[in-house]
Amino acid sequence: MDRLTIGKGITRSETLLLRGGESRAWDITVCSGASLSLVIIALPGGVGKIDCDIAVQFEGEGGECQLKGLYLAGGSSNVNIKVNIVHNWPNCISRQLFKGIVAERARTLFFGLIMVPEKCIGTEAYQENHNLLLSDECIAQSLPQLEIYADDVKCSHGATFGRLGDEELFYMRSRGIPLDEARRLQMVAFAGEVLEGLPEETVSEALTALEMLV
Amino acid sequence: MIDILLEVKNLHANAGDREILRGINLSVGRGEVHAIMGPNGAGKSTLSGVLAGKPGYEITAGEVTFDGSPLLEMSPEERSWAGIFLGFQYPTEIPGVTNTMMLKSALAAHRKAKGLGELSGADFLKLVNSKLSLVGMDRSFLSRGVNVGFSGGEKKRNEVLQMAVLEPQLAILDETDSGLDVDALRIVGEGVNSLRTKENAFIVITHYQRLLSYIVPDVIHVLYNGRIILTGGRELALEIEAKGYDWIIRENG
Repeated sequence: MDRLTIGKGITRSETLLLRGGESRAWDITVCSGASLSLVIIALPGGVGKIDCDIAVQFEGEGGECQLKGLYLAGGSSNVNIKVNIVHNWPNCISRQLFKGIVAERARTLFFGLIMVPEKCIGTEAYQENHNLLLSDECIAQSLPQLEIYADDVKCSHGATFGRLGDEELFYMRSRGIPLDEARRLQMVAFAGEVLEGLPEETVSEALTALEMLV
Repeated sequence: MIDILLEVKNLHANAGDREILRGINLSVGRGEVHAIMGPNGAGKSTLSGVLAGKPGYEITAGEVTFDGSPLLEMSPEERSWAGIFLGFQYPTEIPGVTNTMMLKSALAAHRKAKGLGELSGADFLKLVNSKLSLVGMDRSFLSRGVNVGFSGGEKKRNEVLQMAVLEPQLAILDETDSGLDVDALRIVGEGVNSLRTKENAFIVITHYQRLLSYIVPDVIHVLYNGRIILTGGRELALEIEAKGYDWIIRENG
């Protein structure tokens, strides 16, 4: 377990790139007025198994934590992402956006707990998990958990499971874009929200992994 | 002598269990503009979808020859490379894929099919910029998601832009006039007209004659109940505008 503390008033961005069978557990503390932006990219390859555990708590009011994640799982790979955010101080904000492209016989699990204890008013906590399923054999699970004991909070969560859009694919093919390229473009579009702003070499590694799933 | 570009013979097609096209015969020559008119549910959009290779239809009889090759065996992208372009009635929105990405990818595939290399970034931009003015669009459109948040008129102008870049031999415009105000209609009409040559052809599918006052057809076909029941000259459009379809259906349906 790694510990990471974002000190008072500090703004920090981190990218966590997990490949093959790498696993990681992070215990993160965001101090008052601090802001963390963490992007997790999980690329298990064809047979890898990735476990990623992220626990976030606050130490003082006014902390912000933005978590974004992308998992690209094909073959018989396995990705488990667990996020556990405890809003143990008032007036803190957390935003989560996790996206997964799941293909072949891969299995993925997103587990996200948002816990707001009593008296932690003014909390804002948002969680989204979207999954793009490319085969009939893959399994993507999403387990959002909200435990809210305080009044006067703004919290939301949403999970979706979808496939590539037939209409979009036909539209692109009717312009001469080959089916595989049309699929790739749609997948890149899906992943774009997480990838934008990341260092070029991280993006290109993710795109290469994405191409393996087309 | 007319050089035939598209030949449709006795085409029958189903959508699900329903027979929508019940024996279409149509011959379009290079340099011609054909209008296909007809009431709702006649099969107009099915015909355009079948010609462009849209999934979801079953061809039960008939054949289609395009530029000498059997069309129905080709995938949608192969039809595009061969020179077919479908202007959608409802252009699809593709969030996250920009107009530039799509045009670039489409053009590269077309050039590859012709044995040409990819255009350089600069040459691509030069080409696209020269076409933008045809449809009165500015460059900011290029970096937006394909049709995302576009107005009805912008979507149709975007269709004409794509057509201008791909330079098809046969453009099938499916109810391009729907949802357009007069100004947008004029821009789209002028855009299409500027792309007309002696080599290419257009099939303009429409409900109303108003688009046909901008894109003047050589031939008008009336489609009803999956068949072309009447073919005439451009004056037919005015007659339909004045009297509707009922009399044609009574006399020919």
